[in-house]
Amino acid sequence: MPVAQTKYFGCLDYSPESVFDFPAGLPAFENQDQFLFLEAQQYAPLVFLQSLRTPGLCFLALPVQVIDPNYELAVSEEDRRALALDPARQLVQGVEVLALALLSFGGETSASANLMAPIIVNLATRRALQAIRWDARYSHQQAIPALAARRTEDRAC
Amino acid sequence: MLVLRRRVGESLLIGDEIEIEILDANQQGAKIGIRAPRETLVLRKELKLTAQQNTTAAEAPPLADCEHKLKNFRRTAQEPSLRPDKQN
Repeated sequence: MPVAQTKYFGCLDYSPESVFDFPAGLPAFENQDQFLFLEAQQYAPLVFLQSLRTPGLCFLALPVQVIDPNYELAVSEEDRRALALDPARQLVQGVEVLALALLSFGGETSASANLMAPIIVNLATRRALQAIRWDARYSHQQAIPALAARRTEDRAC
Repeated sequence: MLVLRRRVGESLLIGDEIEIEILDANQQGAKIGIRAPRETLVLRKELKLTAQQNTTAAEAPPLADCEHKLKNFRRTAQEPSLRPDKQN
């Protein structure tokens, strides 16, 4: 079994099936084309996106619906094509696709989530990309404490 | 911010070398043509914001600090009804 060096969890065995491909990388990280998605019970519902190429690179993410239970996905035609997703159908989160918002901890007191550009994963192919929305509906710096009072449902990844 | 009203087919100039033409406009949005020197980078703003945000996201502080910043949120997410009084 291959071993991955991780930023937060030391060395981990992983199976090749748990690798997610990002053929285009991420904006500002275009050469990062493979990530392991890690979950740890003590940090649930956080998801760690650990780069396989760079041990020191690990994004923290939350499923978009954990941050905003009413979040409505919008994936552009171009991105759907890249992920081999049906262009016409409504996407089913958690079954067909996974939508994760990357978290930032830049400020002194709070965390924020990029709801404008969630990571969208085609669960059937394990291909993923960062799908930027052009509709100005969600913030790229959605403050998380502001949403703390909302109830969230448990979601499996 | 300078605000101008332009109709379809009209354009405006930025400096000597950049021309922006309104090609089409409707309820959904405006279609814009840009003539600029090859070395001028033209980006949708959202892409730039996402690149900047990703750079910030990659510099997450130690996990304990992240956890601390998410503490209120996580408690709410996991125990929404059990301990509403311990959120702060």
